[in-house]
Amino acid sequence: MILTFASQQQYQELVGQPAEQPAWSQEDWAALGAFMQAFNQELLDSGELVETRGLSAPVHARRVQFKERVPVVTDGPYAEAEEVLAGYWVVECDSFDRATEIAARLGSCPGPERIRVRAYADVRPIDEHQPDFEG
Amino acid sequence: MCGRSTSTSRTSRAEHESRAPVIAAEIEDLLRRLAPQVLGAVVRRYGNFDLAEDATQEALLAASMQWPQDGLPGNPRAWLITVASRRLTDLLRSEQARRQREDTVARWALTERGGRRPDEPPAGDTGDALVLLLLCCHPSLSLASQIALTLRAVGGLSTAEIARALLGSEQTVTRRITRAKQAIKDSGIPFALPAPDELEGRLNAVLRVLYLIFNEGYASTAGTALIRVDLAQEAIRLARTLYAAQPDDSEVAALLALMLLIHARHRARTAPDGSLIPMAEQDRSLWDRDAIDEGITLVTAALPRGPIGPYQLQAAIAAVHDEAGNPEATDWRQIAALYGVLLGLDDNPVVALNHAVAVSMVAGPLAGLELVQRLGGDARINADRRFHAVRGHLLEMAGDRSAALEAYRAAARAATNLQQQRYLHQQITRLQAPAGTVR
Repeated sequence: MILTFASQQQYQELVGQPAEQPAWSQEDWAALGAFMQAFNQELLDSGELVETRGLSAPVHARRVQFKERVPVVTDGPYAEAEEVLAGYWVVECDSFDRATEIAARLGSCPGPERIRVRAYADVRPIDEHQPDFEG
Repeated sequence: MCGRSTSTSRTSRAEHESRAPVIAAEIEDLLRRLAPQVLGAVVRRYGNFDLAEDATQEALLAASMQWPQDGLPGNPRAWLITVASRRLTDLLRSEQARRQREDTVARWALTERGGRRPDEPPAGDTGDALVLLLLCCHPSLSLASQIALTLRAVGGLSTAEIARALLGSEQTVTRRITRAKQAIKDSGIPFALPAPDELEGRLNAVLRVLYLIFNEGYASTAGTALIRVDLAQEAIRLARTLYAAQPDDSEVAALLALMLLIHARHRARTAPDGSLIPMAEQDRSLWDRDAIDEGITLVTAALPRGPIGPYQLQAAIAAVHDEAGNPEATDWRQIAALYGVLLGLDDNPVVALNHAVAVSMVAGPLAGLELVQRLGGDARINADRRFHAVRGHLLEMAGDRSAALEAYRAAARAATNLQQQRYLHQQITRLQAPAGTVR
């Protein structure tokens, strides 16, 4: 599973809403869309893509905790600058290294330089296929 | 209309400008129709009914300003949902920022409530509108709040329009809506259909609110100057929305039919000087045939489906009136029978009064008077203008002029509305005049 992260502020810049940093230009926005489409299409074509989803801005998040066994919901649990899960890809491929290779290609995702230098993706194996090891 | 893209519209700007007034009315109509769908979609996806409602209002406002200039977007509904969602994000951000400054946390307990079961189909556009109506007419809200919130959240009316329509101040309406939204937020009512066993009761509350909005439209049209939003029309629109969501519910269909059948007479109902014309004296060629046909079709389909309910009976009575080409052709026997059944369902003194009138048309004024006298001990009605007016009318028909005069005088004293007072004083003058010529 490949995970990407963003803060509420970065979401604001991305959709061109008033934020601390200037909004993404129309070119950056179009380039991002084109890149993602091509990236996903390649994974589809190679048969490696299981699922991919982007999440809505963190401001819409709810956190559910249990206080004395009663579920208590907190609206908007994140601070503006906190980087939280923004999207993920589940890929089914030959090896963890191949999944890492795929994630590394996200490094060529276009965008404003200040975002690009800080961007990262995590790659984590999904905990299944135990029989592969046992067998 | 919806398939037109913004860019094509811009190329034909000149054409748009010449048709601007028509387009503005079309846009307003479209926006009002889309309002509950947009709010429903936003609340279903993001929760936060209170802020989502503000966000939707702002999106509607933005559209009402941009679309007449730029033309309709390719998918107006999607446009509104996008703009409303974006606006909701802004509202949530500023709310969360304020909360963090004040060190408060938005916490609420998740309660177990009846709701849509996982095996039921998900709500569509009309389903969302139904959920919204049920939410706005929730029993934890006062009746006045239910009416204001329904007009705003489902009707898409602005606070100013609601204030004008209800003849109230904008501040009062704003306060009511704010309180209502807070109450919904605090109660943690989920955005979902209530459990089946709860649905009927909640639906009845919605029917009541819509009928009150309709009647409010009637009460306020008499004598009042131009109001921009016609509440009777608005109530019919909302009833249509409800009917689209619950087409198999006989009472829902009947409420829409009842409104159409009454509203069909509205052009014949007032004289040029603004005074009310009783049904027997109305110019029936002014009645709206299309509305009557639609109402009759609806109630005819609803009645055999049952179970019989008060709106079906009232719609059936209105249909019998509307079917008569002239007052003499009215089938009073059927009307009296329908009022009799209605009385059995609902011990309402106004219904009893109407029943008495219908009986007098069938069996003569004395039979009607006998029924009216029985209401003389009913404190809910015996001081009411309508009680005395009906007595006066029946006494006059029975030939007891002095008792009729007395009853009309009592009715005029009890009347609060100027139109009604004028009408009753006309009756008094009319009864006095021949007596004066005799001696």
